[in-house]
Amino acid sequence: MSKTKSGEMPHYELLSLISNKFSEDEVKPIREKVNSLILSNQGKITLAEDLGKKRLAYPIKGFRYGYYNLVEFDLAGENLINIDRALRLMSEILRHQIVIKLVKTAEQIAEDKKIAEKIAARNVKEEKEVREKSAFGGKETDKDKVDLKDLDEKLDKILETNDLL
Amino acid sequence: MEETIKKEKQCHFCLNNVKEIDYKEANLLRRFINSYGKILPKKRTGVCSKHQRKLAISIKRARVMAILPFTNK
Repeated sequence: MSKTKSGEMPHYELLSLISNKFSEDEVKPIREKVNSLILSNQGKITLAEDLGKKRLAYPIKGFRYGYYNLVEFDLAGENLINIDRALRLMSEILRHQIVIKLVKTAEQIAEDKKIAEKIAARNVKEEKEVREKSAFGGKETDKDKVDLKDLDEKLDKILETNDLL
Repeated sequence: MEETIKKEKQCHFCLNNVKEIDYKEANLLRRFINSYGKILPKKRTGVCSKHQRKLAISIKRARVMAILPFTNK
């Protein structure tokens, strides 16, 4: 993980899992509650995304479904523990996870784009090669057959001459 | 003849220039666990050591958030 520059706040990503006992409309205020919690700790929200209702890989407290909520924010590191504690106390949230997220600079994004283009071009090329190979493969076997026939004929001729001798 | 020679597996993340593996991509991560939910060895998936370490962390994070199972009986 790259260290952020001094004076700049680190970037975090929070994924929270809201219990299925609430309806879609009831989830909204909970989401806002989480956002306001970050704002009250002098955080800056850069992205708030609702990932919707999803089936859980295993039941948590008897619930098989849950609402995922994703928030990205900049926050001073010492305030992170306050958010973590508050989230743990919220009974509406089944699970939450805060992860350090790397922020890409404009240069890195441009570089990634270039590489992505190269990769796309390479994939197209490979597909073509595979197609050509299969096409050539068919022809080659034909050629081989012809060659074999020719060889047989030549061999026969040689054998005949040998017999004559 | 050429078909019999197996192509060496290459690291999926190196090929696609993935530097950080996102733990929220369940469909991608599912390719690297077996039907019991265990993390597959890199020998089998062809992932390089560098990305295998990151992959393992991502899978474990996904398990905590119930995106991937801890186990399937």
